[in-house]
Amino acid sequence: MACLGSTRLCVRVQEKLCQLGQSPQVRRKTFSCDRFKFGFLPPSRTIPERKNLNQNVSQSTVSNTNSSISWHPCSRPEIAATARSFSTLRTYQPGSLPDYKVDPYQLLEDDLKDVYLDIRKQLRINTHQEELYEIATYYFDGQGKSLRPMVGILMGRAMNYHMYKDRSAILPSQKEVAMIAEMIHSASLIHDDVIDQSDFRRGKPSANVLWSHKKVTMAGDFILAIASMMIAKLRNDDVTLVLSQVVTDLVQGEFMQLGSKETENERFAHYLTKTYRKTASLIANTLKAVAMLAGADDDKLPELAFQYGRNVGLAFQLVDDLLDFVSSSAAMGKPTAADLKLGLATAPVLFACEKYPELNPMIMRRFQEKGDVEKAFELVHKSQGLEQTQFLARQHCQEAIRIANLLGESPYQKALIVVADLVLNRMK
Amino acid sequence: MSLSKLNQIILRKNALQTFRICTSNWEIKRNFSSTDTKRAKVSQYQKPDWNRAVSEAEKIVGYPTSFLSLRWLLSDEIANVALHLRKLVGSNHPLLKTAKTLLYNGKNNMQAWGLIVLLVSKAAGHSPDLPDLEQDKAAGVLHSQRALAEVTEMIRTSHLVHKGLVNLQNEEPKEDTGDMMFGNKIALLIGDYLLGNCCAELGVLRNQELVSLMSSAVRDLAEAEFVGPRDNQNNPLPARPQPSIEYKPLNDVGLEPLLVSDALGNAQAEWTLRHVLSAGSLLGKSCQGTLKLAGHSYEVQEQGYLFGKHLALAWQACLDREPFSPGSMEPFSLVCAPVMFHLQHDPSLYVEIEKGQNDVQDVDYEKIRRSVLQGPGLDLTQKLQKEHSHAALDVLNQLPPSDARTALANIIAAIRDI
Repeated sequence: MACLGSTRLCVRVQEKLCQLGQSPQVRRKTFSCDRFKFGFLPPSRTIPERKNLNQNVSQSTVSNTNSSISWHPCSRPEIAATARSFSTLRTYQPGSLPDYKVDPYQLLEDDLKDVYLDIRKQLRINTHQEELYEIATYYFDGQGKSLRPMVGILMGRAMNYHMYKDRSAILPSQKEVAMIAEMIHSASLIHDDVIDQSDFRRGKPSANVLWSHKKVTMAGDFILAIASMMIAKLRNDDVTLVLSQVVTDLVQGEFMQLGSKETENERFAHYLTKTYRKTASLIANTLKAVAMLAGADDDKLPELAFQYGRNVGLAFQLVDDLLDFVSSSAAMGKPTAADLKLGLATAPVLFACEKYPELNPMIMRRFQEKGDVEKAFELVHKSQGLEQTQFLARQHCQEAIRIANLLGESPYQKALIVVADLVLNRMK
Repeated sequence: MSLSKLNQIILRKNALQTFRICTSNWEIKRNFSSTDTKRAKVSQYQKPDWNRAVSEAEKIVGYPTSFLSLRWLLSDEIANVALHLRKLVGSNHPLLKTAKTLLYNGKNNMQAWGLIVLLVSKAAGHSPDLPDLEQDKAAGVLHSQRALAEVTEMIRTSHLVHKGLVNLQNEEPKEDTGDMMFGNKIALLIGDYLLGNCCAELGVLRNQELVSLMSSAVRDLAEAEFVGPRDNQNNPLPARPQPSIEYKPLNDVGLEPLLVSDALGNAQAEWTLRHVLSAGSLLGKSCQGTLKLAGHSYEVQEQGYLFGKHLALAWQACLDREPFSPGSMEPFSLVCAPVMFHLQHDPSLYVEIEKGQNDVQDVDYEKIRRSVLQGPGLDLTQKLQKEHSHAALDVLNQLPPSDARTALANIIAAIRDI
């Protein structure tokens, strides 16, 4: 950290000031923001300001940690605690900014707070029918983890920083891609609800309970159509191709979920491909599109972004499958052991069946006989299945971190590392 | 190889065969028409007949453009679907009926939509500076236009399949709920699969304006399912007739969503709005899109939109009239033009319509049929159909004479005559 040039450090501090909301010294904040926009800071002038600025940071960090708990359901108390303890540290040791513990949600607070609003706006201007609007915006209530837009914007900023150094402001087109990712995700959630007949999602009744299935299906198509119109508006042929790949992958993943494979090896490969298509493809391709929009000359950076997203996506789903066995319904906002009840054999089950081959016939009959779900649940807990799943998820996260480390150092790049960590250690 | 895998393969083969048998009729026709391309002549003097008009038109553009081609039959997902569809045989999920109408080569034949897009493409021609590589010389259309025709059909099919879901919400658990749920799942996935493919195919064309246009058509289709009152299965009911509303013609060229509330209660405005959203928009925007691909000016593209829209509306008006032809006992929709015109004429009949608030089957259809037959509804529908046919012909006559133009005129004439 000591090797960091003072210019860069100041830029970073000021950037943070821009990020953090209500700083007591508003005038100074806007002042530094403006300077930051111009992207050039003579070191001689900024060094004396450093201490002062850092105090600002610590003040506003403390005041913000509390609010961040309430504004985002994903932020956990322990993170807030570390942020607080580090913020005191900052005052005394300005040279070693512990930005590897940066909270990505806090870092992007300004960028993220508009995402849902903007999505609702887009849906609003595309229909005059209240009921359609109501169904279509049902899941855009800001109560989700908003992982996809968050990683999208983070990667956008990290890429911009990597390529242009201090001009890391997010491009409008990159922000749009983050919105599109969330919209495609929601469209698929809405259709999943109809397919799986689930009752709860994100702690509230799922859409298919409240409205007729036909209307919910149509609302899903509607969201997809609007997302597609937004993609077209970016006027970038290659980005359109990358993002349309996501839609195809999602459906193919859904088809794969209908069938099951005979042998264990085949089954695991099937599971991983399905997981990539259903979850990771959206994140990976979103990040790829964001990197392409940053203006990369060749495929290298978009490919890096893609691989980072793929690994984070796979880890995310693995942890999701794991939580289905250990978390309480209250924390998840949806019933647990849901996958088993749907007849799906996820990673913990597939690992467990190495030790308990009696799971095999259950997997084949999709846990449909009486007592299957309970028995499988118990065997998974008796086996090493959960640890092995965790291990696999960790491997993907480590790979993601390795990739993130290839990018130029910036708060956003550090936050990408934190995201990989968050994905692995999340409780819900 | 394990036994169950073998079993699976056999099953899949069987499923494919059932699919092939269903399509074989149609394949034969296709072979015939493609060998006869050169000698195809357009009959102008015979009495217009739907099937002849379509099959002759198919010869003009080379071959019919169904996405139900062999490459689709052999794709993994479709084979999978065929397998699952077999499980549904015996249940009465509407998906089976939808599948049958897709394969059935009758009057409402689906392939005609792609065909019309191709005919419009050929009739309008394309700018001479497009590279040879992108043209299908024999048929006189661009490869991209053929792809667009395919997308049109896929979007329409996807919508029909999604529309055919069963709403299971208010039903008490019955024996066949499991089947119905499974049917819904498959229907939803097939529809999504088609939409996903549309995205991919449109993406390859590298024309973002076209992507916007076709996406807005998908949006309109989704919107169509929310217009006016609905019963529990989302079947449409006419809005209460409002005698005072003036008929405002829609200004619908462009990407803006349509205003709905203004039209409800006025028979012609409501009918037009419903069917512009559910059909006119897709066919219109496809025709507009194909002209865009050919490099025509925006004014010409707009004409393309109008042609497609009016043709779709004329078609719909004609379909609406059919159940009221003498001696017909066919079921009809409560929002068909004759019923809506009649309601405007005699609002007291709306009491009968209101009985269908929960389930349209509670309405006494024969009573409505009798009233409509005695009222002005049918004549007004015929007038409506003529208006749209003429509007479509007007656009068509701006194009230079060609085989494709005559074929389109024949199709319009055939619609008039059904």
